Amino acid sequence: MLRFSKHEITINEIIKNMNIPDRSEYLKGLAQTGQKIMGVLPALYPRELLWAFDIHAAEIWDPPGEILHANAHLQTTICPVVKKSLEFILKEPQTINAGYLFPHTCDSLQNLGTQVKDLIGVSLPIYTFYNPKGRFNNTTIKYYQDILINFQSILEASHGPLEPEKLKAACVLSHKIDTYLMVIQQARMTDHLSLSNHEYFTLMRAQEYLLPQDYLSLLEQVNILEKPAEFSRARLMVSGILPPLPEILVFLDELGVSIVADDLLAVSRRIPKFAMDPPGSPLDYLTDRFFVLPPCSTRGGDLDERVHYLSNRLKESKAHGLLFDMVKFCEPELFDHRLLVKTFRERKTPVLTLETELEDHISGQDKTRIEAFTERLFEIVST
Amino acid sequence: MSIRAELKYKIMKDYGAPVLMAFQNVRRRKPRPTPAAFGSPLDSNQRLKEILSRHYFLSRYAPGVKKVAWVTSGAPVELLRAFDFYTIYPENHSALVGAKKQGADYCGIAEGDGFSQDLCSYARIDLGHMLSGKTPAGKLPKPDLLFCSNNICQTVLYWYKAIAHELDIPLIHFDAPFVTTEQTEADINYMAQQLQDMIPILERVSGRVFYLNIFEEILERSMETSKTWGAILDAMKAQPAPMTIFDAFGHLAPIVSLRGLPVAQDYYHILMDEINTRVTQGIGAISDERYRLIWDNIAIWYKVRFLATFFAERKMNFVTATYTNAWAETTGYLDVKDPWRSMAKTYGQIILNNNLKHRLDLMKGMIKTYAVDGMVMHSTRSCKPYSVGQFDLRKAITADLDLPAVILDADIADERVWSEQQIQTRLEAFCETLEGSKYG
Repeated sequence: MLRFSKHEITINEIIKNMNIPDRSEYLKGLAQTGQKIMGVLPALYPRELLWAFDIHAAEIWDPPGEILHANAHLQTTICPVVKKSLEFILKEPQTINAGYLFPHTCDSLQNLGTQVKDLIGVSLPIYTFYNPKGRFNNTTIKYYQDILINFQSILEASHGPLEPEKLKAACVLSHKIDTYLMVIQQARMTDHLSLSNHEYFTLMRAQEYLLPQDYLSLLEQVNILEKPAEFSRARLMVSGILPPLPEILVFLDELGVSIVADDLLAVSRRIPKFAMDPPGSPLDYLTDRFFVLPPCSTRGGDLDERVHYLSNRLKESKAHGLLFDMVKFCEPELFDHRLLVKTFRERKTPVLTLETELEDHISGQDKTRIEAFTERLFEIVST
Repeated sequence: MSIRAELKYKIMKDYGAPVLMAFQNVRRRKPRPTPAAFGSPLDSNQRLKEILSRHYFLSRYAPGVKKVAWVTSGAPVELLRAFDFYTIYPENHSALVGAKKQGADYCGIAEGDGFSQDLCSYARIDLGHMLSGKTPAGKLPKPDLLFCSNNICQTVLYWYKAIAHELDIPLIHFDAPFVTTEQTEADINYMAQQLQDMIPILERVSGRVFYLNIFEEILERSMETSKTWGAILDAMKAQPAPMTIFDAFGHLAPIVSLRGLPVAQDYYHILMDEINTRVTQGIGAISDERYRLIWDNIAIWYKVRFLATFFAERKMNFVTATYTNAWAETTGYLDVKDPWRSMAKTYGQIILNNNLKHRLDLMKGMIKTYAVDGMVMHSTRSCKPYSVGQFDLRKAITADLDLPAVILDADIADERVWSEQQIQTRLEAFCETLEGSKYG
């Protein structure tokens, strides 16, 4: 059962208490059953198509471990998400058996896909998926449908013909997961969810590696409170690519700060902005889903739209402040960051920016900055 | 369009600019003596300077007469020419700032305003210019429109979005899907349709009507200009090569920023004639060319002279570069009879929008065709699409072709990144290897 952690417990215990299996053991177990598993790099891809081919998508964002071999292939100024992903791929893990998918997210991931495929060479097939960029219109919608059809054909060449019923079922499953995630997000914003920061993001990130059915079962177990919890904690919204390091999440908990909303690429930016109708035609459903995702730097969306979206989220969640947890060298985020910080500072919203290289531990300096920031948040709470 | 502005523009174009050029010629500093390692400089350099000075000078008088567009180097500018936009290339301007060793100042302005130091230095310089109005070109007009394509990088989209927001002006983005294996029909149709979708927006912003025949003429001219540029680069196959790639970095400016205009077309005919004469007469760009090199990636603008001299003194000449080749490589796809789809093919498949197998094959081909003895790769912090993959490209090329190679870690325009001692040591070691490999 999921429960709020009142006492200091280790991260592994938290995961255990939530009945969320360990990523690596879970994937090993799946691979042993003969399950096809594809390693998927960040961020946006039509997961439903993979599911319809009985391929499980195991997402690769920030695999643990030191970066050693990847340094021989990538410069020091490349973001740690890209480096860690390559380090993982170079290990040729047994859990990944159906290839790697590189969605088009940024320049570095774009090049990494072709670098792995055309220069480094791995024993598994490499797939790519282009996500259109910029402002969207009918031309973009038509093209996105073409990309989906093309991707389907590519998968059919390796995995046999697609069974339309399976795709339909995958879309239904995806829709159910989205619906639950939206309810949970809403519950988080309105204090109807008794989960610590770390528990909440462990739950949200479990979708990166659990089978969709297992993930849905997990979501079904989440206890949504009938009445909002008594809340004396400071409220925070977080923006960036990944949730802050587990140590930061636990530290914020200790300081009495709850992350009530997020604008994270790995989390909320992959959940539709509003409830979608149940799937009719899978192609239309997949297309609509892509275009109703929140604004995102990696899609080159409009800056005003992003500011507007963040403002609404802040307002809805009654967050007292905004934390930007920036991955070092992440160009798409760094360009938007300046305007977002400026805008919210002008609106007197406390803003803190941290920079991460996805280390395992929080630095003393960052700890002090977080503490100072938290004091500001509590000043607002007390007024 | 105001009559006064138009009159002023006309006067400046017909009289002001020529007077300025003449004045510049008179008070031109005594040219720096050419080091003995170099042959005589190209006469066309003077014409190039005039063209670029005139372009920047006239841009001040364009507002009110022509709509001004800021454009990225890989964007299909021919379409804008059909609406008579006055185009400014921020990348070109940032390179100019970099070459004048002022990049750090401009970057500092952008950084002071909240832009991260980890961002592309072309972008930071341009944003620094936008925020301060500073420019070594005197004065640049504010844009009425921004036009970018992510066929060179996604960065330009984020960068232009920031400008569009700051200046509250429209941004037209040409989305060019990355070519992972080969362009699909869907990719081509998507790009072709985007170009056609732009017409009503361009008509609205420019206040002009689109005429297909005018556009076709521009396309024809652009195609011919790129082909001439390609022929100039081809002439570098001659031994000794008639110019160095460092010269070519400069002579690249018109094909990047004046493509589709008669001035660029005429200029390359002048340069082609001079290059052909040099080839016929066996005149080399350096006095004694013994080693021939290939350059990969954008120039290190603030160190062009240093690098040119360093290599020339060692009898080494850069005879080809992936960078200069980028504006000639895909011209063959242009077809006036099928403008939209052919532009999709041309602009969609340029080197930075193409997979690394394509780049590897291209580089191997250039190395063979230009009889190259060694390779220098500039790994630049500013350009991820150019730099990610270079380590493995070097490995593949050196292994297959047994070619000495060195990677320089630097930046295109932010001179703070340059580490003279480290680079000098690397270059010395590279030169030793090269000399050893060629003459034992």
